[in-house]
Amino acid sequence: MDYLVAVLLPQLLHGLVFGAALGLLALGLTVVFGLLGVMNFAHGELYMLGAYAGIAVIGATHSFWIALVVAPLAVGAVGAVTEVTTLRPLYRREPLYGLILTFGLALVFREGARQIWGGDMRRIAPPFTGSTPLLGMTYPNYRLFLLAASSLLLLAIWLFFTKTRAGILVRAAVQDAEMLDGLGVNVPRVFTLTFAGSAALAALAGLLLAPVFTVYPQMGVEMILLAFIVVILGGMGSMGGSVIAAFVIGLAQSLLTLWMNPQRVAIAIFAIMIVILILRPRGFFGREGVLE
Amino acid sequence: MSSALSARAVIAPRALIVWFSLLLLPALPFMSKFYLLLAFDALLFGTVAMALDLLMGYTGLVSFGHAAFFGLGAYASAIVLERGIVSLWACLAFAVLVVGLYALVVSFFATARRGIYFALLTLIFAEVVYTFFRYTQTFGGSDGIQGVPSPRVLGEFAIDTPLRNYYLVLVYLGLAYLACRVLVTSHFGRVLVAIRENEDRARFLGYNVQRYKMAVCMISALVTGLGGALYPGRSAFATPDLMLWTVSGEFIIMVMIGGLGTLAGPVVGGAFFVLLQEKVSSYVDWYFIVIGLVLILIVLFMPRGLLGIRELLGGRRWRTTA
Repeated sequence: MDYLVAVLLPQLLHGLVFGAALGLLALGLTVVFGLLGVMNFAHGELYMLGAYAGIAVIGATHSFWIALVVAPLAVGAVGAVTEVTTLRPLYRREPLYGLILTFGLALVFREGARQIWGGDMRRIAPPFTGSTPLLGMTYPNYRLFLLAASSLLLLAIWLFFTKTRAGILVRAAVQDAEMLDGLGVNVPRVFTLTFAGSAALAALAGLLLAPVFTVYPQMGVEMILLAFIVVILGGMGSMGGSVIAAFVIGLAQSLLTLWMNPQRVAIAIFAIMIVILILRPRGFFGREGVLE
Repeated sequence: MSSALSARAVIAPRALIVWFSLLLLPALPFMSKFYLLLAFDALLFGTVAMALDLLMGYTGLVSFGHAAFFGLGAYASAIVLERGIVSLWACLAFAVLVVGLYALVVSFFATARRGIYFALLTLIFAEVVYTFFRYTQTFGGSDGIQGVPSPRVLGEFAIDTPLRNYYLVLVYLGLAYLACRVLVTSHFGRVLVAIRENEDRARFLGYNVQRYKMAVCMISALVTGLGGALYPGRSAFATPDLMLWTVSGEFIIMVMIGGLGTLAGPVVGGAFFVLLQEKVSSYVDWYFIVIGLVLILIVLFMPRGLLGIRELLGGRRWRTTA
């Protein structure tokens, strides 16, 4: 019982917290993939830019909350400009070119951040400290906030995609962009705004996780691999699958840490993915023929 | 068709001229040891890019895990050299064994899937290998295997100078180019192009598509791995950083710079990339921005790569198929 409360429960919560944040990241990746057929290699860099933009805004205003609003908007704007200038010309070309293009973007963003903010590790102080007694243990307040905020965001995104006209348009574009175009919808604008939204979500995840992790130019590289695994596991193009897979990976990651050193955990996660893909080649919710 | 004609179809006279002029490159007055090593890297990574082009350009499969093949070859070679077995042939044989076994597993699982799944599966497998070597102290952990002796060929002739290394890699490039050309001009190569153009149609014509994809994957991996096996002879080390997935990305950049599906193009692309990195990084420390921008501009404006320039200028069309 002591073990359960002192060791297992905190790890379980850590896993949920991490899974929820990972879900925000993977969701943007999935939607962009569904829309443009492009696995966005620069997504991790947008996540990283979110954290740095947060540091910049906090430096100017001394408020984490203002940063939480301004940084995602700024990164979203960067995303919109990027989409219009580089991805839009590639719409009718092989998705391969888009994939390679985003790899180039990732290099530029990563190195740009290193030039602007330097290569050393940075931290953001959490906006509030202290911890709350919970089920016989105490848990940091900020992590509880992180879990609540990410869960609420995921819920809001779900409502957006099911209840609003804009969200339904995005889903329609994932399904069949040509048909949507034929129905008179400005599809390129849908693409651009979705890309911007996905960038803003990534930035938000980056800033939310920054007080828990450290901020450095390569921080996106590790996260993007996990996010890729999540998207594959969930099934390409399935948003619900991505969120579920994010929680699975988040929990697996934090629970496995109890019994293995971090390197082994990384290998174990890869192994889990490979096994699941052998058993279920399209992940949890992937449909046959989607982007294959 | 006479045999002389078919030999011309495999190796263009122009390729022979370029290769023979490369033989004379070290005779140029400014070719110091530094430039010889730079030329070694240019040709070595050019060869790797060419091997990747078999997959990307001819079969339409994008591998994001070629760094693992390269790194495994380098490690295999370094492990053999570290044990005091200084024969180049032993290094190459062990590299073939190790890379071959790994490539068998990867290609079996990865070629069962198409498009983006293939790219991501190769990436994940490569990350497993990277993580394994990065954290296994037997193989030096993050430092890798350092200070290995130079390999020898034919008894006591050691490949221990930049000049000898340069000629070794030049010979390797020539043999690999020949092998790849034979491959893509053969029936096998035509099936690969058919798979790239329309996989279902190739299957309906009765070809076992997955077997072809596995075969080309293995060949590409082995050419890359053998290239990796030459690396410790030049640098005396093998480190896990050789296997980072960003290195795989660099290989893809080389192929794109050179032009998909041309074999010769990626060799030029690899050499261009190595020289660009060297030149730019000696002036500014933000050369990754330059390289990223070059990649973006090429994707946007020159999808056929450097060899496509002539087409832009209205020259003869470069043939993308064999």
